[in-house]
Amino acid sequence: MSNLSDRSTLPAEPLPPCQVACPAHTDVRGYIHAIARGDFEEAYRIAREPNPLPYICGKVCAHPCETECRRGDVDEPVAICALKRFATEQHDLSKGHAPGLTVAEPKEEKVAIVGSGPGGLTAAHDLARMGYKVTVFEAYPKVGGMMQYGIPLYRLPRETIDLETAPLKDLGVEFVTNQRVTDVDALLADGYKAVFLAVGSHVGRKLRIPNADLPDVWLNTEFLRRVALGEKIDLRGRHVLVLGGGNVAIDVARTALRLGAAEVSMTCLESCTTQPAHPWEIKEAVEEGVQMFHDRTFKEIVAENGKVKGVRCVKVNFRGFLPTGAPDMDEFPETEHVLPADLVIFAIGQGPDLSFLPQDGSIAQTPRRTIQVNPVTLATTKPGVFAGGDAVTGVGFIIDAIAAGHRAARSIDAYLRGLDPASVQPPEPQKLNDLQQKTISHIRHLKREEMPMLDVNQRKFTFDEVYLGYTEAQAIRAAHRCLTCGAGARVEETKCIACLTCVRVCPYEVPLLARGTANVPVDQCQACGICATECPAKAISMKLYSDEDMIKQIRDAVRKAKYNGEPAIVGFACRYCAYAGEDANVVKASLPANVQTIDVLCTGKVDALYLLKAFEFGADGVFVAGCLEGECHNDKGNVHAAKRVAYVKGLLDELALGNARLEMFHMSPDQCANMAEVVSTLITKVKELGPSPVRRS
Amino acid sequence: MIKAQQKPIAEIKALIAPYHRILILGCGTCVTISFAGGEKEVGLLASSLRIASAMEGQDKIFAEATVQRQCEWEFIDAVAEQIQQADAVLSLACGIGVQALAERYPDKVVLPGVNTTFLGMAVEHGVLVERCRACGDCILGLTGGVCPIARCAKNLLNGPCGGSQNGKCEVNPELDCAWQLIYDRLARLGQLDRLAALMPYKDWSKDYDGGPRKIVREDLRL
Ligand SMILES: Cc1cc2nc3c(=O)[nH]c(=O)nc-3n(C[C@H](O)[C@H](O)[C@H](O)COP(=O)(O)OP(=O)(O)OC[C@H]3O[C@@H](n4cnc5c(N)ncnc54)[C@H](O)[C@@H]3O)c2cc1C
Ligand code: SF4
Ligand code: SF4
Ligand code: SF4
Repeated sequence: MSNLSDRSTLPAEPLPPCQVACPAHTDVRGYIHAIARGDFEEAYRIAREPNPLPYICGKVCAHPCETECRRGDVDEPVAICALKRFATEQHDLSKGHAPGLTVAEPKEEKVAIVGSGPGGLTAAHDLARMGYKVTVFEAYPKVGGMMQYGIPLYRLPRETIDLETAPLKDLGVEFVTNQRVTDVDALLADGYKAVFLAVGSHVGRKLRIPNADLPDVWLNTEFLRRVALGEKIDLRGRHVLVLGGGNVAIDVARTALRLGAAEVSMTCLESCTTQPAHPWEIKEAVEEGVQMFHDRTFKEIVAENGKVKGVRCVKVNFRGFLPTGAPDMDEFPETEHVLPADLVIFAIGQGPDLSFLPQDGSIAQTPRRTIQVNPVTLATTKPGVFAGGDAVTGVGFIIDAIAAGHRAARSIDAYLRGLDPASVQPPEPQKLNDLQQKTISHIRHLKREEMPMLDVNQRKFTFDEVYLGYTEAQAIRAAHRCLTCGAGARVEETKCIACLTCVRVCPYEVPLLARGTANVPVDQCQACGICATECPAKAISMKLYSDEDMIKQIRDAVRKAKYNGEPAIVGFACRYCAYAGEDANVVKASLPANVQTIDVLCTGKVDALYLLKAFEFGADGVFVAGCLEGECHNDKGNVHAAKRVAYVKGLLDELALGNARLEMFHMSPDQCANMAEVVSTLITKVKELGPSPVRRS
Repeated sequence: MIKAQQKPIAEIKALIAPYHRILILGCGTCVTISFAGGEKEVGLLASSLRIASAMEGQDKIFAEATVQRQCEWEFIDAVAEQIQQADAVLSLACGIGVQALAERYPDKVVLPGVNTTFLGMAVEHGVLVERCRACGDCILGLTGGVCPIARCAKNLLNGPCGGSQNGKCEVNPELDCAWQLIYDRLARLGQLDRLAALMPYKDWSKDYDGGPRKIVREDLRL
């Protein structure tokens, strides 16, 4: 999976809604499952694969995936973005920023990229990996685009941007900063065989209302850029009013607070329920003391002697924008009033600066004054010139620009190889259907982990990062909430004999009989694995693990447990509960070397065969550690496990091996930290029985 | 369907004792559904027997395979090679499958790993009960759909006996008295008058007493 071209062949099977909603189609389920298993490097590898900026996205991605997450139909969405951040925080950068990603042989062709925002950086990354000579031109002194000159520091520390752009230089990308491109044709004449325009959308807009040109009426993008460029703006004692209700407006307001403003308020056309900013951004701003005035249109900046005094507003019932761009609303009579302020900042949207495009119109623009492209290939109307990101769509999100960067890179590569760029773009993935109500009703509710944050009184005076990131225990709990949508059980129809076992044992009422065999609808399966362990025909396989993997792990565990003449003990420990709240590595480290655990996500996945295999490979004792009855993540997984343990105990007696060598532990959360103690009871019994008489030659 | 139960491991160990290479051959139909001899049980038994062999310091070799139905020549021929390589075949099929193997591979030792127990069904997951004795002359039409041959411990045709107590059987108080069930059903159907008539004696020659039975459909023969 380390080849870029793999991305053009997305699997035909339906994908989880999170993955479909992510413009870069990140394998969210994959990295979350890796975190749930405790394999953090693998989580990072998966999160990094489609995204050259995972550290940045882990902090500030707008995460459209979470809106679509099916956990949201049960309780609340999985904290997908925070978990990406956790994966990046765990990653050992000495292994490289992109472990496993390959770089092709160098090619002759030069490609120019205009703009170093996420769109430009992604295209540069992909093209450099394909072997092209890539030059990125950036008008400002630092690379990063709006991430560098828009997003405030308290959300995105600049070290994170530096950390993420450095590997691009290692890939051989040349950055030419402080260089505003003014002539695209000159680039082509200069030997660049293709150009990608990713110039963003940086020009703030003002409403044409009286006094909008006064010196104390500012623009969102300019204001944030000045702050980002390090200008010391002193707003102490000022009363700032931000016009606009989007995410950028919130950034403006919270930045003004941090610059010392005495009061900061915001006003917008929308109501408190339709305000376009993300609800969490609004909540954080209000916590910090920003005041919101909804349902208002702005008539005039009120001024006296050139000094701003406020904004004259009228209350409205705003219903949205008409196709012409005009607001669709009625003004309420006699509601005119002045919101006081001595500094007004417009934050009502921004558009791209396209003054650098050729005057001859050879690179066409849309009526909305963005660059016109073919949406599939991102080709502009000039051959060899492609465009993407905010310059094409208007202000979007980082991850949209990343997706555009990938698309542009594929197109440019095709174009340079004489292929049709449309032919190399992957088809849109298929999405899993919604969860059925009866399945939802069986899913255990789990509270979403709160993101630890800087205390509000501390944070509103500084640009220190507000979000602090999950602890390991939090991240694992958060990862356990994922329903691993679409990665569950598969029935091999030729082996199924329609015995109905799966239909009867599934805690989520998922399997059905269809055309004489069982069928597990991929949309509904919760991947608990119970049916796979119970199917007498072995007709069910699980997407995320197999008997072969498990048996290999068991063999290794037995080998490792044979230590210093102590009884070799192998345990199957449920990742959901056996380490509840504890750092699994700490618990494991507390176990003596002769006790080796194999992690499973729910003891319901522990097949009777695994228990026997451990003895067959020479274990002296075996245990299964799950939660208390009634507490199982999958309703009855631990009950099934206990029954299998009892069954195998019977076999052990028949074999004269002694049933006391096998134990099921139902552990309460407070016992988990003391797993060593719990296991010592088994060790004592095993010692009484003596070493296993199974000696493998 | 045919229901079966795996034999105790000690018995199986004794059966296979003389042999070195043993093929454990499951059957993918009835015995799979009765959790006695499908692919899963083959795996569990193989692992158990490997443990037993190692405990006794032996190095027996166990191969595993499962065919769709051991009672069909075509299906058992699919594993002919594995059968040939084995010193003995431990069949987890019902008695029919075991005999099919023995007949098809006359030189091969074939051993039963399960006890074929009855014809029945699962009344709940994990609970299998007998329902039919294959008597060859079905009388369910006379007994309200409850079989006194399979379900009455005394196979009475004109029950109940004097030992029927509170609807339970005197032979095993865990069992429902079949004749109580017949009475209850007929009462529900408004056919209690049937019980007034004496059931004539049954032609047991159609059961096992007439020797092994055979059905020939001339119209189907090739
Ligand atoms: C205040 C603010 C906060 C935001 N917060 C978030 C957030 O939290 N999460 C999120 O996902 N998105 C956020 N966004 C949106 C996100 O930043 C943009 O969608 C994204 O950066 C667009 O990427 P891009 O590559 O298209 O352009 P940009 O990032 O805008 O980069 C374009 C670059 O091109 C350069 N450029 C322009 N013209 C020329 C020229 N002629 N020659 C050379 N260089 C040129 C510019 O200087 C700029 O560096 C925010 C946007 C703003 C304004
Ligand atoms: S539950 Fe997991 S796999 Fe399903 S949509 Fe949410 S994050 Fe994706
Ligand atoms: S448990 Fe296995 S054999 Fe039985 S119906 Fe389900 S898939 Fe088919
Ligand atoms: S894996 Fe679990 S949820 Fe999925 S079908 Fe099997 S028993 Fe049901």
